[in-house]
Amino acid sequence: NMAIRELKVCLLGDTGVGKSSIVCRFVQDHFDHNISPTIGASFLTKTVPFGQELHKYLIWDTAGQERFHSLAPMYYRGSAAAVVVYDITKLDSFQTLKKWVKELKEHGPEDIVVAIAGNKNDLGDIREVPMKEAKEFAESIAAIFIETSARNAVNVEELFQKISKQIPPLQNPDVESNESFKLTQQPPPSTRRCC
Amino acid sequence: MASEQLPSEFDVVILGTGLVESVVAAACSRVGQRVLHLDRRSYYAGKWASFTFNGLLSWIEEQSKITASEEHDWSSQLEDGEDLIGLTTGDVSQVTNLQVFNYTSEEEEQVPSLEEEAKEDEEEDEGGADQTPAGETQEEGAPSSESEVKEEINTPAQKSQPEKSKKRLTYAELLKEGRRFNIDLVSKLLYSRGALIDLLIKSNVSRYAEFKNVIRILTCRHGNIEQVPCSRSDVFSSKLLSVVEKRMLMRFLTSCLDRDTPLLYQDFAERPYLEFLQYQKLSENLQHFLIHSIAMTTPDTPTAAALAATQHFLKCLGRYGNTPFLFPLYGLGEIPQCFCRMCAVFGGIYCLRHSVHALVVDKCSSRCKAVIDSTGQRISCSHLVLEEGCFTQTAPPTRCVSRAVLITDGSVLPTEAEQQVSIVTIPSESPVRMVELCPSSMTCIPGTHLVHLTCQSVGSAFEDLSPVVNRMFRTPDSDHPEPRPEVLWCLYFNMPEGLESEGGELPPNVSVCLGPDGSLGHDGAIAQAELIFQKILPGEEFCPPGPAPEDILYQGEEPDASPAQPGEEPEASSSQPGEEPEASSSQPGEEPDTGTSNQGEEPEASSSHQGEAEASPTCKGEESETSPSQQGEEPDASSSPCTEDSDTCPNQLEDGTQG
Ligand SMILES: Cc1cc2nc3c(=O)[nH]c(=O)nc-3n(C[C@H](O)[C@H](O)[C@H](O)COP(=O)(O)OP(=O)(O)OC[C@H]3O[C@@H](n4cnc5c(N)ncnc54)[C@H](O)[C@@H]3O)c2cc1C
Ligand SMILES: Nc1nc2c(ncn2[C@@H]2O[C@H](COP(=O)(O)OP(=O)(O)O)[C@@H](O)[C@H]2O)c(=O)[nH]1
Ligand SMILES: [Mg+2]
Repeated sequence: NMAIRELKVCLLGDTGVGKSSIVCRFVQDHFDHNISPTIGASFLTKTVPFGQELHKYLIWDTAGQERFHSLAPMYYRGSAAAVVVYDITKLDSFQTLKKWVKELKEHGPEDIVVAIAGNKNDLGDIREVPMKEAKEFAESIAAIFIETSARNAVNVEELFQKISKQIPPLQNPDVESNESFKLTQQPPPSTRRCC
Repeated sequence: MASEQLPSEFDVVILGTGLVESVVAAACSRVGQRVLHLDRRSYYAGKWASFTFNGLLSWIEEQSKITASEEHDWSSQLEDGEDLIGLTTGDVSQVTNLQVFNYTSEEEEQVPSLEEEAKEDEEEDEGGADQTPAGETQEEGAPSSESEVKEEINTPAQKSQPEKSKKRLTYAELLKEGRRFNIDLVSKLLYSRGALIDLLIKSNVSRYAEFKNVIRILTCRHGNIEQVPCSRSDVFSSKLLSVVEKRMLMRFLTSCLDRDTPLLYQDFAERPYLEFLQYQKLSENLQHFLIHSIAMTTPDTPTAAALAATQHFLKCLGRYGNTPFLFPLYGLGEIPQCFCRMCAVFGGIYCLRHSVHALVVDKCSSRCKAVIDSTGQRISCSHLVLEEGCFTQTAPPTRCVSRAVLITDGSVLPTEAEQQVSIVTIPSESPVRMVELCPSSMTCIPGTHLVHLTCQSVGSAFEDLSPVVNRMFRTPDSDHPEPRPEVLWCLYFNMPEGLESEGGELPPNVSVCLGPDGSLGHDGAIAQAELIFQKILPGEEFCPPGPAPEDILYQGEEPDASPAQPGEEPEASSSQPGEEPEASSSQPGEEPDTGTSNQGEEPEASSSHQGEAEASPTCKGEESETSPSQQGEEPDASSSPCTEDSDTCPNQLEDGTQG
């Protein structure tokens, strides 16, 4: 029986670069040209096997809060990884990538795994961002780099596999690190016994 | 990237992202209203915000700037039969009496441990007194907080003692690690059976946050800090109480939970609680605990009110932990953000650093038809919700809260055990409550504690609270024999409490949200939000549960895999976005058809059923029907046989008294 590890992943990047499409492709293996903001989706989940573990990704989409640059710090809390997406056909979206990375460094957890995804690589003929340049930038911040196409299902699973590889192994599964809990779950088991 | 223009038509426009505004936003968006949520600030949560250390310094600086309202003439935006009401672009309900004291060292140095230092302090008692920064108020505009912050205090004990010494935090380190602080402007806790917890659970917004139990209730008496017994086992193991006292306390508290308690205190209802407790022949020890730590009132509080508070306290025990209180990881400022995310997830549009300059009012109906934003754009709306302090003619606040925020180097009552969040009740004319947060609450860095003090203002925050700070901690102005944690940095300010009824005749479709009140819980804010929601959408359900991630389906796929209901209420299904055509059409999104996604093939049908991780897609519906009841854990959930959940315990309490 494999241990399930929940990993929060948040997506960042300008509106229209294909964040929601990447999530939809990964979770659903589905692509829709007219994807709308995923209404009602707090986060989506997908579980993938990795080594001796199961990685259950809790994928948080921006819910449109990136559109006017109003993402809340709580969005980044507790993320194991962040996928910063740009559109290879939009130089602008690559330039603002740096802003997103900066924001992540400011608000995200210190040990967060960062992946940079150049999306829409099916549109190579109208490319504006050279792969080399993006790759060098990713290397300079020690981030994963990959070009994806949510439309053609290229490298989307690979993106998450790369993330899985970078996630540090579980250190001590027995140690309840923080004694913090979610309200939707059962109240935390107390050590006291009742009656 | 934010050069895009805002859409110009909404059902509800909301200004300000404090708790009340954010709950209203989530509630409206959840039932299909098109919501525009704006804040003129660059951060969420307004007065409810929490800041990194560096963010707090910027906030302090901002407070000293007098934000003059810019004058604009938007009359060109008006149509026939319309009027303008101008709004302030600054905040008229600002904090006042801001004072900062920095006691960190300039360079790294070794300082002796608490005990030794305490002894030395007795000898050279005047050590740091002359270096106390002058308590200047920012209002007078004079010295920027910057200069105060930079002021350096040398500790009296500078000889490096090799033994038992620890590294003293420097200001540079504080700044460097500043992002790991989350410092709330408001200090409150969540009652485990309070309105906010209920709302978080009911709406599923609780998914976005994590909580810690407040582990200890402490009190300060005769200069000592003592732990208040908070469960039966605490009572029985307490060294502060005699056997007789233990029995009396048990008997008294049990009677408080009795349905016919009113009979018990009938004659005392309006008389001081102290008199009632004396009449009950409770010892001074017990009177102290009961008045200050359990009812959290004053001796002269009317008995009926004090007993109601006591009942609330007792009912909240044992739901999540052995005190009635919870605290959110990363600070209280997370909570409004969680509701904002809920709003966004259901299509609400968010824009910070954006203000509204004027309301457009229809002369005939006197309703607000639209707002004019800071770019001059006219945005129409059917309802407008404003944070307090938007109108220039606001009356000055009648009541204020005095606040102190300290970064200290240890707990006021250190334990061997794990780090703990504690609440300390400090009796005084205007009772002071102190919340001590440990690093694992994600509000401060290892080696420090973050301490919030709050009381009703009598004078300035410094006047009200610095005596308590000097009594509880070591500062250059304190001199007590016991070892106490040292204050490294502290901030005082007064914050006005919710300003009642401003602006006199507002258009009927405009609501104003009050700011945080001085109470410990959140019931006032939640009640207010619900009231505003019902005014906007009479008869609509307030924050029905959102779908669980596992239950989200893409429309058109697997039509037979009918979505599971996350909530207990069957009627919630009709408002489930994406699954029913008519529900989707009421959603603000442009393309209702793609609203949600299918999780059918997911092996982990329900995180709480790990053993059955192989559930097939068709099983999902059934699976998920069971999980909500686990999530809900409303009182009935505790009826599960003999769990740790001590909901069932109070009844057995009498057994204890016999034992
Ligand atoms: C001072 C105080 C008094 C309270 N009195 C009441 C009350 O009268 N009625 C009420 O409904 N709620 C009362 N409460 C609330 C109630 O204690 C909590 O709901 C409950 O204690 C939550 O803790 P628990 O369920 O873990 O049980 P706890 O009682 O905290 O823990 C159970 C453990 O306590 C030990 N224990 C229990 N009884 C005895 C005993 N007689 N002698 C020695 N050990 C014992 C058992 O070994 C058991 O392991 C009181 C709370 C406080 C702060
Ligand atoms: N050609 C192409 N179009 C894409 C790809 N991914 C997304 N899109 C389109 O880009 C637009 C924006 O995608 P969306 O996922 O909504 O972006 P988001 O705003 O970042 O979430 C949509 O019209 C998508 O259909 C891709 O890989 N290739
Ligand atoms: Mg999107």
